[in-house]
Amino acid sequence: MKYSQLKEIIKKKASKTEFAIVTNLENGLSEIYEPKKSLSKNFDTHKDQIDNFFKLKKNGIIENTEVFVETYIRPIKVIIVGAVHIAQYLVDFAKSLNFEISIIDPRGYFASEQRFPDIKIINKWPDEAFKEIETNENSALIALTHDPKIDDPALQHALKKKFYYIGALGSKKTHESRCLRLKETGFSDEQIKSINGPIGIKLGGKSAPEIALSIIAQLVSVTYKK
Amino acid sequence: MKNSFDEKILEEANDWIEANQKVVLATVIQTWGSSPRQVGSRMIVNEKGDFSGSVSGGCVESAVVRECMGLIKDNKSCKKIEFKVSNESAWEVGLACGGEIAVYLEQIT
Repeated sequence: MKYSQLKEIIKKKASKTEFAIVTNLENGLSEIYEPKKSLSKNFDTHKDQIDNFFKLKKNGIIENTEVFVETYIRPIKVIIVGAVHIAQYLVDFAKSLNFEISIIDPRGYFASEQRFPDIKIINKWPDEAFKEIETNENSALIALTHDPKIDDPALQHALKKKFYYIGALGSKKTHESRCLRLKETGFSDEQIKSINGPIGIKLGGKSAPEIALSIIAQLVSVTYKK
Repeated sequence: MKNSFDEKILEEANDWIEANQKVVLATVIQTWGSSPRQVGSRMIVNEKGDFSGSVSGGCVESAVVRECMGLIKDNKSCKKIEFKVSNESAWEVGLACGGEIAVYLEQIT
């Protein structure tokens, strides 16, 4: 691989572009594939198969050839509501798992850059903040404030946009009243049931890093069930 | 759904090159049976034999490092190597999982 190509790949990864690297294993030639761009004549004959690998987000050698395809997909977007202590540990875990994190918290003293270096922090109420983040059914929400004023609008947004993972921190009682409020707002039982509350898998821990671990474990497990 | 778990190996390769090191990229291109790392898993090796990342659960890394250093020494651009249970070198380094993997080595030039 040419050094210039390595740099190009790193740049594409950083800009969250989806692409693939195609390599001829016999002569070492490789190039970057993007769905809307044409390939050089070295790979053009395999365009359909490469397209197919890309669609399936699959890595591998194209059958009966010496062409290896490696696809790069965009990281999953995880929106954390509440720049609280647990969020600081969540950010650490999520980085090594390559989730793309944004934090929403209207309370400036929580959501400071010093507490969350290199993380996109939106210092607004959820309704305003979600105008700045493109979300869809491949997004995840982790609501951590257990303050209905902040969590509820975020949960409503996530339910409407059909986020694949929605979790909300709070005791069973807090969650019960949260569900009641959502029901009164007009959400169906099925929608409300899709919220993981109390959030996280049962590990038994009570400290902030342990709770963060239980949340991230649940997020990963739901990601692979989908 | 698939997450794009990424171990930042390519970024590390860039750091090494910027530090004037020669780097070989090793990528798992095929697996058969039970193998610890999936296709696309990567490691990098420099001319001194320092390495980062992985292509197996620690079973064949030492052999991959040797091969990568050889590639730099011979100034070759690429090479494909396979590790099988029946294969002598695999016996030596021990693919304990019983699987087979093919690894592609390429020098970054």
